[in-house]
Amino acid sequence: MQLKFEVPIFDVKNLSFLVRENTILSNISLEIFHSEYIAIIGPNGGGKTTLIRMLLGLEKPTAGEVKLFGKKMSDFKEWYKIGFVPQRASLVDENFPATVEDIVKMGRVAQHSIFTRFSKEDAKIVHDAMEKMDILDLKEKMIGTLSGGQRQRAMIARALASSPEILILDEPNTGVDMVSQQRFYKLLAKLNKEEKMTILFITHDIGVIADDITRLFTINQKATICNDPKETISCEDISKLYGRESHLISNHKHNHSGDTEC
Amino acid sequence: MLEMLSYEFMQRAFIAGLLIATLASISGTFIVLKRYSLMGETLAHSSLVGVAVGLVAGYNPLWVAVIFAVLSSWLIEYLRSSFALYSDAILSIMLSGSLALAVIIVSLGGAFNNSLFSYLFGSILSVSSDDLVTIILFGSLSLGLLLLFNRELFFICYDEEVAKISGIKVKFLNFLLVTIVAIIIALSIRIVGSLLIGALMVIPTAAALQFRVGFKRSMLISLAFALFSVLFGMTTSYYFSLPSGATIVISVIALFVISLIINKK
Repeated sequence: MQLKFEVPIFDVKNLSFLVRENTILSNISLEIFHSEYIAIIGPNGGGKTTLIRMLLGLEKPTAGEVKLFGKKMSDFKEWYKIGFVPQRASLVDENFPATVEDIVKMGRVAQHSIFTRFSKEDAKIVHDAMEKMDILDLKEKMIGTLSGGQRQRAMIARALASSPEILILDEPNTGVDMVSQQRFYKLLAKLNKEEKMTILFITHDIGVIADDITRLFTINQKATICNDPKETISCEDISKLYGRESHLISNHKHNHSGDTEC
Repeated sequence: MLEMLSYEFMQRAFIAGLLIATLASISGTFIVLKRYSLMGETLAHSSLVGVAVGLVAGYNPLWVAVIFAVLSSWLIEYLRSSFALYSDAILSIMLSGSLALAVIIVSLGGAFNNSLFSYLFGSILSVSSDDLVTIILFGSLSLGLLLLFNRELFFICYDEEVAKISGIKVKFLNFLLVTIVAIIIALSIRIVGSLLIGALMVIPTAAALQFRVGFKRSMLISLAFALFSVLFGMTTSYYFSLPSGATIVISVIALFVISLIINKK
């Protein structure tokens, strides 16, 4: 559990987003603390990606405020602290002239001024990120020749190479096979447990990662925050949220502790 | 070959040509990867307006071409980011509009002559000492900026949004890139000509991409192709009295076809 005086990584207050009078998000307030592993679920069109885009400063909220590491969005400059893996992560241009190592190195670019060269330390960080994602043997391969799962791991390695404090993933499983997805979920759990990496993860596979996450946000115009994910996903709220009958598939079950808000 | 280099105009043409090949191929790598290929063609036509104004008003056409190309590159970026217009539609409008304007200006000014022909198709005879100084000055500046921002530009080419989230100043760099490209194009019209410079930017990179190698190697292959094409094209231009732009472009297309054949899947 987070300590009360800790500055949250994201502090969202009364956030709303309207497009031509259509409400996409309404009065969302939430906080994300260090070392949390938060899953965001909700129906397509419910505003999950919009919320992430506002957290990243890509969309301006109609009302409300987002603070990053205690700073206003306009004052925040340390973007390397945030690693982002977009929805299209595995759908790269097949002809793009980049090796896996070229891609992972991009994670170091923002830490340098234009006048400094990559150092040995950068090389080590890039090496470690590829090792963590188990793609060291692919480093000379062209990104377009990899499978969906391998590309996905390369994208996460790129995000990790910036030494972020939070990893944000927006349903990066498009075009990725089931076996690779399982491996991917294990990697995320390991990053969170062993390296205390904060993770914010938009997913539909809530049943599979239920045992790993610390909190669950459900987004469908409004946000519901659940401090005991297992309790939420075992109730019928999921079906209500998605507006149809839903089935949950969970790997195994064990008890969680924590407060319950929902 | 050596006899050719004993002429001062050929020495100037070769120095300018090699610098332009370097600039066109390096900036071309970013332009192609950003899907800005048509940008080169459009800015070349905009620079032609500058040439026309220069010819009619009696200013150095190269300087005026640089100014017009840069201004229109900014206008294109502004239109692209501020209005609901498709990029290729904007480029198409600017391209034909510029050419029309250039033709009207030279027709009214009575300057529709051989001088304009050399700006359209390039000429190795036309690089004056003043031109060479302008080309070296602006060319070195552009090359320096491209090399300094090379990592950031590569990241933007790969994924503009992720680059932005990582803290890269995407908007500034996009403006910088189109400005540099505008300058390079305006400088190139002496040797390659405004109707053909787009090809020298796009084709070496398109050929290099066929080899499916990493970013740096692709850029080096593209550079080698551009340098070879300019050397070969200018030599052919000298011996057969052909417009240099045309011989350069035919050379680079030959390299492109060879690249396609040897890298066929």
